[in-house]
Amino acid sequence: MRAWLVLILMLCWPIAGVWASDFAPVVEGRPMTFPADTGAHPDFRTEWWYITGWLTDETGTERGFQVTFFRVGTGIGAGNPSRFAPRQLILAHAAIADPATGVLIHAERVERALDPLAGAAVGRTRAWIGDWELVLDEGGTQYRTRVTSDAFDLDLALAPPGPPVLNGREGFSQKTPDPSNASYYYSRPQLAVDGRIRIDGADLKVSGQAWLDHEWSTEIMPSQAQGWDWIGINLSDGGSLMAFRMRRDDDSPLWAAATLQEGTRPARILAPEQVRFVPRRRWQSPRTGAEYPVEWTLELDGRTLRLEPLMDDQELDGRRSTGIVYWEGAVRVYEGEREIGRGYLEMTGYAQRPENL
Amino acid sequence: MLSIENLSKRFDTSLDHPLFEQVSLTLSPGESVAVMGESGVGKSTLLNCIAGLEPVDGGCIRLRDTVVTALDEDACSRLRRSELGFVFQAFHVLPHLTLAQNVALPLWLLDEKEAVADRRARAMLERVGLGPRGDDWPRHLSGGELQRVAIARALVHAPAVVLCDEPTGNLDPERAQGVLELLFEGIHNAGAIGILVTHSRAAAAHADRILRLTASGLVEDAG
Amino acid sequence: MGLFGSGTDAALRHIFLASLRRRRLATALSLLAIALGVALGLAVQLIHTAALDELGRGMRLLSGEADLQVVGPRSGFDDAVYARIALHPAVAAASPLLEIQARLPGRDETLRVFGIDLFRVAQVTPSLLPIVETATAGGEDPEGSDADRPDRLAALQPDALFLSPAAGTRLKLDAGDAVAVQVGIGEARLRVAGSVPGAGVGQVLAVMDIAGAQQAFDRIGRLTRIDLRLAPGSERGPAQEQLRTLLPPGVTLLTPEETASEVTGVSRAYRVNLTMLAAIALLTGGFLVFSTQWLAVVRRRREFAFLRALGLDRGSLRRGLLAEGALLGVVGGVIGVILAYLLTALAFSLIGGDLGAGFFRGVAPQLRVEPVLTLAYLALGVLAGVAGAWLPAREAARMVPARGLRAGDEAEVYQARPRWGATLIALILAALLCLLPPVGGVPVFGYLAVALILVAAVLAIPGATVGAMRLLPVRGSLVTRLARARLAAAPGQAVVAGVGVVASVALAVSMAIMVDSFRDSLDNWLTRMLPADLYLRASDSGASGYLDPVAVSRVAALPGVEAVRPVRFESLRIGEVREAIALIARPVQDTSGLPLVAGTLDPPAGPGTDPPTWISEALADRLDLGVGDPLALPIGEQLQTFRVVGIWRDYARQQGAAVIELATFRALTGDRRTNDLGLTLAPGTDPVGIMTAIRATLGDRVSEMILPGELRNMILEVFDRTFLATYLMLAVAVTIGLFGIGTTFAALATSRRKEFGILRHLGLPRRRIGTLLALEAALTAAVGVGVGVVAGGAIALVLIKVINPQSFHWSMDMQLPFGLLLIFGSAMILLAALAARLAGRQAMRQDAVLAVREDW
Repeated sequence: MRAWLVLILMLCWPIAGVWASDFAPVVEGRPMTFPADTGAHPDFRTEWWYITGWLTDETGTERGFQVTFFRVGTGIGAGNPSRFAPRQLILAHAAIADPATGVLIHAERVERALDPLAGAAVGRTRAWIGDWELVLDEGGTQYRTRVTSDAFDLDLALAPPGPPVLNGREGFSQKTPDPSNASYYYSRPQLAVDGRIRIDGADLKVSGQAWLDHEWSTEIMPSQAQGWDWIGINLSDGGSLMAFRMRRDDDSPLWAAATLQEGTRPARILAPEQVRFVPRRRWQSPRTGAEYPVEWTLELDGRTLRLEPLMDDQELDGRRSTGIVYWEGAVRVYEGEREIGRGYLEMTGYAQRPENL
Repeated sequence: MLSIENLSKRFDTSLDHPLFEQVSLTLSPGESVAVMGESGVGKSTLLNCIAGLEPVDGGCIRLRDTVVTALDEDACSRLRRSELGFVFQAFHVLPHLTLAQNVALPLWLLDEKEAVADRRARAMLERVGLGPRGDDWPRHLSGGELQRVAIARALVHAPAVVLCDEPTGNLDPERAQGVLELLFEGIHNAGAIGILVTHSRAAAAHADRILRLTASGLVEDAG
Repeated sequence: MGLFGSGTDAALRHIFLASLRRRRLATALSLLAIALGVALGLAVQLIHTAALDELGRGMRLLSGEADLQVVGPRSGFDDAVYARIALHPAVAAASPLLEIQARLPGRDETLRVFGIDLFRVAQVTPSLLPIVETATAGGEDPEGSDADRPDRLAALQPDALFLSPAAGTRLKLDAGDAVAVQVGIGEARLRVAGSVPGAGVGQVLAVMDIAGAQQAFDRIGRLTRIDLRLAPGSERGPAQEQLRTLLPPGVTLLTPEETASEVTGVSRAYRVNLTMLAAIALLTGGFLVFSTQWLAVVRRRREFAFLRALGLDRGSLRRGLLAEGALLGVVGGVIGVILAYLLTALAFSLIGGDLGAGFFRGVAPQLRVEPVLTLAYLALGVLAGVAGAWLPAREAARMVPARGLRAGDEAEVYQARPRWGATLIALILAALLCLLPPVGGVPVFGYLAVALILVAAVLAIPGATVGAMRLLPVRGSLVTRLARARLAAAPGQAVVAGVGVVASVALAVSMAIMVDSFRDSLDNWLTRMLPADLYLRASDSGASGYLDPVAVSRVAALPGVEAVRPVRFESLRIGEVREAIALIARPVQDTSGLPLVAGTLDPPAGPGTDPPTWISEALADRLDLGVGDPLALPIGEQLQTFRVVGIWRDYARQQGAAVIELATFRALTGDRRTNDLGLTLAPGTDPVGIMTAIRATLGDRVSEMILPGELRNMILEVFDRTFLATYLMLAVAVTIGLFGIGTTFAALATSRRKEFGILRHLGLPRRRIGTLLALEAALTAAVGVGVGVVAGGAIALVLIKVINPQSFHWSMDMQLPFGLLLIFGSAMILLAALAARLAGRQAMRQDAVLAVREDW
C-alpha cells in the first residue's frame, strides 16, 4: 500500500473503470512461487517494488531512505507494432530523510517500457529506467539498487536473511471488506544493507536495515476510502511487522490487516479486528496545512506499541508535480520505553483525498 | 609696418616675361597709399601678393615681423584672417547673410563668440551709416550701401592692413566720393595701413601718397 | 559641432549648412536618394532579421536544450538507432522525434506534426510538452479536483493531437474536435486533446505521442530526429565523433546551430542579393550627392574664393563642405530609417516576412527595433553623403582664390581629362575579381567587380563625351555647335550631370538583361521538366500524402491514359554537404525530361558498371564532381555508388539534387510509393475528363492535379512577383538619375546665366537657349546612357556568369532584350532633355541685362 500508487492510479483513471477487464483479476488461491514471482506481472495493471529502510554512515549519522519502482499497464497501444507503444510505464522514486537538515530530498523518473532503456523483467526482479535499477541476483541472495540524481546517489546491496514473508492469505491481501479490492503481496523484511550514498557532495559508506514490499494488483481502492496508514517495521528480535488500515472520510477504519513475525517464529496474520491505529501526536505541515498523526499507538492483538518519527517533517509535497501530498518517513517503534524496531510509516489522505480512485 | 622689397612677379609660370619687378614699398601704421597704373600692369596681382593669395617670383613682403612671402597657404589664411581687410570692386556681400552677419563674418572666422561678433558688427554698421539696417538683406541695398557694408566688414576686426581693389569701380562718382571718405576715415581712425588700387585720380587723391606701378617698379606719381 | 572651433560654429551654420536650405530641390533629391537607399536596405534587413529571428526562435524552440541532433533523410531513419544512442555514456538525455508534414484533406494546408515521447521531451525540449484539455471526459468529481493537474496518460492515447496556440487559431480547432490527416491517399482521424502552450505565438505545429504518430502515419520504425543532451563533462566535438560511429550511412549528428543554418543558408543568397540592390540605391544616392555638391561648389566658387581671401583656410573649407554632405547623410538617413520601419511594418501586415521568395513560410515575425542595424544603416547614409561630398570638397579646397575671385571661370572646374588608363585598370581588376571564388557562399568579389565596373563607367564619361562630340558633325545649327563646343570643352559637366544616369542606367540595364535571361531560361527549364500532359500528386512531396502502387496502377488503367511516369522525392545527407540534398527517383532514360548542361540521358550500360545518376549543377559545384565521377549516395541506410552521367540545370533546389532511376531506388529501398505521377494522355483526350475520372477513382479530398501549363504560369507569376521588388528599386534609381540630370541642368543654367545673358545680347532668342540646354542635356544623357548600357551589359555578364552561379549554383543563358534597351535608352535621353529644358526655364526668365551685370 504505497502512496506512489496514487500517482499511478491517477495516470490510469480515465480508463480505470472502462478497461479493468483488459487486466487479470486478483483472485485468492493463486500460489506464489519464487523466484518467478519476484519478477514482473505485466498482466496486472499495477505493480511495485518498494524499499524503505534506515542507513547509518561511518560517523554514526542515521538517515531514512526509500527506493521504489512501479510498473503500470496503460491499456494503450496493445495493437500498435511501434517499439514506442506505451503499453507499460515504468516509474521510479527515491528519497533520503536526513535529520541533520530536517528535509526530505527526493528524485523521480518516468518512462515508457522500451527495452533496453526502461522496463520490468518477468521471472526475476529487474526493474530499471536508464541507470536507475533494482535487480535481484541470479542466486536470489541479494538485491542491488542504484539511483543517481542531481541531489544524491544511492548504490546499495540488500541481502534478505530468509524467504519472503507472505501477507494476507498466502499472499492474497484483501484491502476492503469486498474481496475484489485486493492485491498479491509479499514482503522481504530485515534486509541487510551495505553500500554507498552521495549526499551534499559527500560520498558516504553506509550500512543498515531495509524492507522490501512487492505487490501487484488490478483494482485496490474503493470509492469510500479516504486514505490509509501503513507501517513496515524491522523488529530488533529479527522479526517483522507490516500493518495497514484503510480509512473512511470520517476517519473511521474501513479495513485493517497486519502480518507479525516475532523472532524466528512463523508469521502471524492478524484479522481486521485485531489491529487498531490510535493517533497520539499531530504535526501540522507549514507548507500544506495538512495535519498528520506523526506519533501513533498501535494495538496489535493485545500488544501496545508506540511509533515515533525520525523527524516530524517527512511530508512529500507533490502539488507541483504529481499532485499528491502525503507523509512517508522513518519511524522508531517502542514497547513501553524500549525500542523494539525501526521502519517506515506512510500516511495518505490527510491533505485531500487522492482523487478519482 | 609693411615693407615690400624687390618684389617681382611673372605673367604666368610658363612665361619668362615679367609682369613687374623690383617693386619696393614701406608703409607705417596709419599711412595710406594709392597705386595707379595701366590696365594689365598687375595692380590687383600686387594686392593678391601682399595678401598671400598669389605666390611671388622674387623679393620679400614683411608685415611687422612676419615674412608673408615665406608663409605656407594655411599660415597666409590665418594672417589674412587677423591682419588684413579687403574691399573689392565687386562688393562680395553674401546674399544669404544679413548685413550684420556679413560684417560679422571676419569675426566668426576669428572664433569670436556669435553674440560679441554681432555687437561689434552692428557697431561697425553704425559707423558706416547703416546702423538700423543690420537685419536687412543685401538685395535691398544700393551699390553704394553694399560697398559701405564691405568697408564695415573690412574694418570690423581692426586689421593692420586694408587692401582696396577699385572699391568705387562700380559706383557713380557722387556715391564714390562718400564711400572713399568713409573708407579712408576708417583706415586712419584704426591706425591701419591702407593700400588703394584704382584707375581714378579722384579716388587716389584720398590717399597720403600716390604711386604708379610699372613693369620696372613703383614710382611716385608725377601727377 | 566644433568643426572649426567654438566660435566659428556660426560660420559653419550660416555659410555651409544654410546653403543646403537655399538649394531646396537639389537638397531634397539628395535626401530622397539617401533616404530611399537607407530605407530599402534597412527594410530588407529588418524584414529578414525578424523573419530569421522568428525562424531561429522556432528552431531553438524545437531543439530546446539539445546539444546535438541526430538527423537523416526526410523519410527518417530506423528507430533502432535510438536505443543505441540513448544508452551511450556521453548522452545524458535523448528525445526521439518523428516530424511529419501532415496534409489536411479538404483544407489547402499542411500541419507540422511532431511525434514525441512525452517522458523524454521534457528533458530536452520542454516547450513541446502537451497539456491535456479534457473538454468532455470525467466531469463527475464533485470535490472540485485540481484542474491544473496534468493528466499524462491521456497524452499517450494514439489519436490524441495537441495543437500549438497558433495552429489552433489557424485551423480553428478546439479541444475535443476531430481532425483528419492524410496518409498516402487515405485518411487517419485524430482528436484534438489539448494544446502545446510552450510553442509560443508564432509557431504553427502539433504534437502527439510518438507511437501514435508512427502508427497513424504508417511510419512504424522510423524517426526523423533524436535530440540529445550530453552528459556533464562530455565535449560536443568528441561526443559527435563517437556517436557518429553508431549511425548508419546517411544519418548524421548536427548541432542545433548547424540544423538551423540549413534553413537560413538556403535563403542567404536571396537576402544578400536584395541587400546588394539596396546598396546600389544607396550608391546612386551617393552619386547624386556628388552631383549636387559639385554643382554647389561650382556655383559658390567666388563665394569660397572671397571667404578664402577673408582668411578661411583650406581645411575649414573642406570640412565645411563635408559637413554639408554629412548633414545630408544624417537627415536622409534618419528619414530613411523612419521609412524603413514603416515599410517593414507594412510588409509584415501585408505579405508576412516572406518578400515573395517563399523561404519563410509558416512564421509570423514581429517588428522589433534593431539598434545596431539601424545605426549601421544610418552610418551608411552618412557615409554616402560624406563620400559624395568628398571630391567636390577637395576641388573647392584646391581652388586658387585669386583666380576664383575673377568672374567667369566656372567652366574651368568642368575640365576633366579623359581617364582611359584608370578606366582600363578598373576593368582589368573587375575581370580578375570575377575569377575569384565566393566567400562563404556569398560572391563578394563578384559584387566588388560590379562596383569596379561602375567606377570604370564613371571614369569613362569624360573620354566618351569628348569622343562622342568628335563624332558629331562639325557643321550644323548654331545651337548644335554651341552645345558641342561646350561639352567638348567642359566634359566634366557631363560627368557631373551624367554620373547618376550612368550608374542607374548601368544597373537597370544589367538587371533587365539578367532578369530577362533568367526568365527565359526558367521558362525553357519548366518546359523540359514538365513534359507530361497532366500531373497528379497526393500532397507536396515533403508532406504525408503519397500514391501507393495500387493507386498508380488504377490511374494508369484509366481509359485515355497512355503512360504514367511516377516520381519519388527523398532527401539525403552526404557527408561533405551539410544541408540535406534532394533525391529524385524517376524514369530518366528514354524520356525527354532533364535539362542537361553536360553528359547524356542514355549512358552506355555495361555489366559491372554502377547505376547512373544525374546531378544538378548545385551538387556538381558543391562536391566538385564532373561527368564520369563516382558518387556514393546513402539510400536505404546503405551506401550505393553511382556514376555521374549527366549534370542538369535546377532552379528549384539550391541545396542540390540527384536524379536516379526509379527502378534503382525501388530495388535499393523496397519503397514503392510515388509522390508525383506524370500522365501522358492519348492524343485527343481531354485532360479535364481524366481529372474527373481520377477524382472518382482516388477520392477528391486526397489528391491534387495540375496541368503543366497552369503550373508553369504559376511559377512564372511567382518569379515575376519576386523580381517586382527589384524592378521597383530600379525604377527608383532611374528616377533619381533623371532628377539628377534635371537638377544638374537647373544648377548649370543658374551658374551660366551670364553666358546665356551674353548669348541673348548677341541676339540668340530665349527659346533657342532652352533648346541649347535641352540639347546639351540630351547629348549628356546620350553619352551617359551609352556608357551605362555598355557598363550594364558588363555587369549583367558578371551577374549571370559569376554572381548567380556562385550564390545559387545555377546557370542561365544570356539573353539581350534589344528592343527593351532601345526604348529605355531613347526614353532616358528624351526625359533628360525635357528635364533640362524645364529646369532651365527659370534661368531663361532672367533679365539678360541684369544677368550680365550681376554681382553674383
